[in-house]
Amino acid sequence: MGENIPPADVPVVPRAGTVYGVLAEYDGVAPLLEAAAKVRDGGYTYWDTYTPIPIHGLDEAMGIRKTRLPWVVFGAGVSGALLALLMQWWMNAFNYSYVVSGKPLLNLPPYIPIIFEVTILLSAITAFLGMLLLNKLPQLYHSWFASRAFARRVTTDRFFIGIEARDPKFDIAEVRALLGSTRASQVETVVEPAAPAMPEQVRKYGLPVAVLLLAVALVPPLLIAKARLTPRNSPRVQVIADMDQQPKFLPQQANPLFLDDRAMRPLVAGTVAVHHANLDKFLYQGIAEGQWATGFPMPVTTTLVARGQARFNIYCTACHGWDGAGNGPAAVQGAARSPESWVMPTSLLDGVVRERPNGHIFNTISNGIRTMPAYGDQIPVADRWAILGYVRALQLSQAAPKALVPAERQAELR
Amino acid sequence: MAEVADIRRDNVWLGGAGRAVAIVAGAVGAVGLGIGGAIAWAQPDQRAHFFASYLTNYCYFLSLGLGGLFLVLLEHLARAGWSVVVRRLAEGIASTLPVLCLLFLPVLWGMGYLYPWVNPRGDLAEHLQHLLEWKRPYLNTGFFGVRAGIYLVVWLAISYYYLALSSRQDRTGEPRLTLRLEGLAPVAIILFGLTLTFASFDWMMSRDPFWYSTIFGVYYFAGCVVGGFALVTVVAVLLQRGGRLVSAISPDHYQDLGKYTFGFIVFWAYIAFSQYLLIWYGNIPEETQWYVRRSHGPWGGVSVLLLLGHFVLPFVAIISRWPKRRPALLGAVCVWILGVHWFDVYWLVMPEYSATAVPLSWLDVVLFVGMGGVCTARALLWLGRRPLIPIRDPRLEESLAFENA
Amino acid sequence: MADTREIDNTVTLPGQPAVLVTGDHDLASLTEVVAGIAEAPRPPRGWYIAFGVSMTLLMILGAMVGYLFLMGIGVWGLNVPVAWAFDITNFVFWVGIGHAGTLISAILFLFRQKWRTGINRFAEAMTIFAVVCAGLFPLIHLGRPWFMYWLFPYPTYLKVWPQFKSPLVWDVFAVSTYMTVSILFWYMGMIPDLATFRDRAKGRVKHTIYGILSLGWRGSGRHWHRYETAYLLLAALATPLVLSVHSVVSFDFAVSHLPGWHTTIFPPYFVAGAIFSGFGMVLTLIIPARAYFGLKDIVTLRHVDNMAKIMLATGMIVGYAYSIEFFTSWYSGNPYEGFTFLNRAFGPYAWAYWIMISCNVFIPQLLWFKRVRTNLLVLWILAIFVNIGMWFERFTIIVASLHRDYLPSSWGMYTPTWVEILTLAGSFGLFLTLFLLFIRYLPVVAMAEVKSIMPQAGLEHGGRRGFGQYWGEIPHRHERRGPEGKH
Repeated sequence: MGENIPPADVPVVPRAGTVYGVLAEYDGVAPLLEAAAKVRDGGYTYWDTYTPIPIHGLDEAMGIRKTRLPWVVFGAGVSGALLALLMQWWMNAFNYSYVVSGKPLLNLPPYIPIIFEVTILLSAITAFLGMLLLNKLPQLYHSWFASRAFARRVTTDRFFIGIEARDPKFDIAEVRALLGSTRASQVETVVEPAAPAMPEQVRKYGLPVAVLLLAVALVPPLLIAKARLTPRNSPRVQVIADMDQQPKFLPQQANPLFLDDRAMRPLVAGTVAVHHANLDKFLYQGIAEGQWATGFPMPVTTTLVARGQARFNIYCTACHGWDGAGNGPAAVQGAARSPESWVMPTSLLDGVVRERPNGHIFNTISNGIRTMPAYGDQIPVADRWAILGYVRALQLSQAAPKALVPAERQAELR
Repeated sequence: MAEVADIRRDNVWLGGAGRAVAIVAGAVGAVGLGIGGAIAWAQPDQRAHFFASYLTNYCYFLSLGLGGLFLVLLEHLARAGWSVVVRRLAEGIASTLPVLCLLFLPVLWGMGYLYPWVNPRGDLAEHLQHLLEWKRPYLNTGFFGVRAGIYLVVWLAISYYYLALSSRQDRTGEPRLTLRLEGLAPVAIILFGLTLTFASFDWMMSRDPFWYSTIFGVYYFAGCVVGGFALVTVVAVLLQRGGRLVSAISPDHYQDLGKYTFGFIVFWAYIAFSQYLLIWYGNIPEETQWYVRRSHGPWGGVSVLLLLGHFVLPFVAIISRWPKRRPALLGAVCVWILGVHWFDVYWLVMPEYSATAVPLSWLDVVLFVGMGGVCTARALLWLGRRPLIPIRDPRLEESLAFENA
Repeated sequence: MADTREIDNTVTLPGQPAVLVTGDHDLASLTEVVAGIAEAPRPPRGWYIAFGVSMTLLMILGAMVGYLFLMGIGVWGLNVPVAWAFDITNFVFWVGIGHAGTLISAILFLFRQKWRTGINRFAEAMTIFAVVCAGLFPLIHLGRPWFMYWLFPYPTYLKVWPQFKSPLVWDVFAVSTYMTVSILFWYMGMIPDLATFRDRAKGRVKHTIYGILSLGWRGSGRHWHRYETAYLLLAALATPLVLSVHSVVSFDFAVSHLPGWHTTIFPPYFVAGAIFSGFGMVLTLIIPARAYFGLKDIVTLRHVDNMAKIMLATGMIVGYAYSIEFFTSWYSGNPYEGFTFLNRAFGPYAWAYWIMISCNVFIPQLLWFKRVRTNLLVLWILAIFVNIGMWFERFTIIVASLHRDYLPSSWGMYTPTWVEILTLAGSFGLFLTLFLLFIRYLPVVAMAEVKSIMPQAGLEHGGRRGFGQYWGEIPHRHERRGPEGKH
């Protein structure tokens, strides 16, 4: 898949006065094709035809091999397809996987449109850029433009063949003779033009002006960087409000619409929030017949206690410790950090706690005591009773009569 | 440079060999159809299977015949020059349509086995019975027969007109005939499109009378055109192997046939994907049931075969220019396409007979050979009576000189 | 103004080459005609009038969009059952129009329809400007359009990605790919013509600008070879792309469960409708432009006739889809489907439905007559009807399906507000402004391509020769024996 292109079609720095090459001009397609075949057979390397239109059969007449562009584009297409598949899989099924309308996470049908589009996009961009790259375009100036005839008419209605002087076989007389033997309407030797002189002002002020412009251009990014690095107390400037400011009443604001001038409306007497009727005083408050209840509102089972253990381990152990003795890691650390002010949590194994009625301890879990916060909002009511059950189990386990230990394990006791 | 295509020196006649093949094919075909019919007659429990298989093969050969007719119409509609050298072959394929009209009669006979709406099962759910009642004005045996008659008459009329005038031009060489055919092409194409759509609705879609898809006609059409182009290519390769039309059909023509085959393979995939995606995404039971039947168990395998064999493989095989310009290679791919196309029709027709298993059997083979033999015989006899190329078509010279730049 | 006689080159006998450039042009005079439009020191007065009108409309668009951004979507008539109306109708309408360009450049190129060279540049430019208008509407209909970049997959601090199962995200990819590829195709086709402009430029500024734009193109044979390969590749890529874009647009509707939207024929039906409307718009623009800028020899009656035929063909496909949809809505036995279609035809939006049917199906039937296809004034009016019909098709599909939900309690009506109507009018201003600038500064005809189909391009130099027209003896068709020895 080699390209029959001269290896270094890069313009050398033009030196005025040297011969760049010889141009022959034709006024039709037929003479051009004949001449191209002749030059091809002459064995030249650095030569080309220049035409205003693509010409059918010119590739053959010039001996151009087929370009490898289609393969490059095919490769781009395949990688586009794979890339799109990978992107959709990674973004929707892996990195941020979420189910939409019951569809499987990784499923081909809905991914196909984007796979298709990305395939086409990459292929098309590759076809265009590949064409430019292989053609070594853009190349805004070329020495053939030194020929007036060429610069005027090559893109309009004249056909040219140009043989460049850097061709190893180039001999000006021979080349002129060869091109002259074709049906050329004109053969012209093209001389490298002198490089246009830089205008005086550019030479004099160019560099300082460029430096100045660069410095000015640096100002905005610097300002942005400064703004991003400086902490501020005033609210940020909002170009777009984004519903941050809405015409609405906030809590505690005044509203003259109502007689009491308050925006917040009091509840109608007797209002109870949904699920908060809490009519069962025993269950919700631990009170039975005006006293702290002593029993449980539900049957105490192994399941209940196991549930209580799990909840206790989650919520209580941080301070009360795994065994309830009041030496949880938070308590220990707190005491170590500020020994003079820290209040150690109560040991649940203490006699005081042992003798408290169930309802009292339930109330403590629900509403907190001293520095202990209320857990009523976090732990559902049944779980609070379960915790209480586990606390009772702990108290029993830490001071159990020997008789309660199974006979075969009594030997382990010390 | 300067290759010469000269039909004055080409063999443009099918000749005795063609007639011999036609006789053999016709005989084998008649025997095949006879055996199939005899078995169905003798074994009543095989009849449902027989008719389902018959319908499959019928719709398959019909799709080829209609594909051939479409190619002829398309050439006239677009005033295409390049395809004149292969138009007679497409006409030969379309010449099987009269035979296919006769072959339709057993479908009428087997309606009770093929279409659940003819004698609805008593244990149908109430809403399904209601649906059938709703569709009764359309789905009833009388109107079904009338519609089938209309489709067949339209196809016969179009094919007769186009084939007869083309043959007449062989003798008279009048360019006026070409102009007449071109002038009528748009009307013919419209009639063709409508009849093909409703034929596919009637004959295949109503196999499941509760299912519907507006794109179904286009799907069958896509299959027809793929089949038509593939078959013309295969016929051209075979004829050139047999020493006919050697200089007339050049790699440039094959490349164009290949391009169209490729293009319609992609079109088929596009239509198939559109139908599948929309039903898959909508996920409404009354629509998905048709695909559920075709995507579980062994039918799932056939679906995958279609995806790979009817799209991926041919797509990769003939995407580049190189294989399209090699008749043997292109012909092999087209034979493969014709094979997979059979499975496409099978996949459309058969799951309503057997949802749990793919009931491939000797019946399919016998009926395929039978119907194929009869159609081949008809086409070869028709082609044997005229040159294999429209020798006095005014665009023939353009077509012979055609170059795929 | 050039002379007003029309040369009828629509008829060619079979076997004769078609005349695609009339008026004895050679390569130089053709260049003169095309380049003369942009090189004139100042455009004709009509251009200024048109530009003034379209700039006014464009400013109205700016005002409407600004007002929308300031006030929010509430200034439109959208409501809960009809949450899409003018915005998405306009989007689909403009995207549809944007299909003709690539169709002409890519599909007709693959089909070797040489007449496309006269109109492809024009149509491609129209495509790009139409897609610009189309892209505007989905963006401004977002509640917070300044977050439109959320549509693209980029790593955000929120650590979320777009939802690729959504057809709206497919739309983002499809339309932006289409836009990119159309621009590439347009620009690539323009490089040789920009080089012509460069070489003809009088002033230094123009010479520099066209010089940079043409990337130093010098017509090298080696360059042409790769250029043509790339052009073919782009055409082959753009062809399925055209189909995919409007198919994806149709998926926006068809993947839903809404009766009237959820139907499998939507993708090809939308594509056919898009081509239909695209050709309607090309004709609407090119008929006055060819007369005004003296392009009659390049955009001949044959071109116009062919475009009218394509319009007829795609109009018939659209009519086919309407019929099949209507038939299936009955055949399905689904009462919601059936109701939706009856409601379209006889419900509160029946007027829109019948405008659509008349403009898209009935009126185009006139195109069967050659006298209509070659009567430029009649054809121009007819093309405008097609534009109107196709706009109402989208309006019917969107609004008439949405305003009747499954539950009658969710029914509603939609009335556009003045903001929506002016925004639609303003989008025409955007389209026409871009278009008029294009005519003023860029080559409106693909000169290199038109030249390459002229006799001067030496097309007769093909390698292969054919001898057809066999006039020797042939046997009668009923003769039994084939003449085996005949070669």
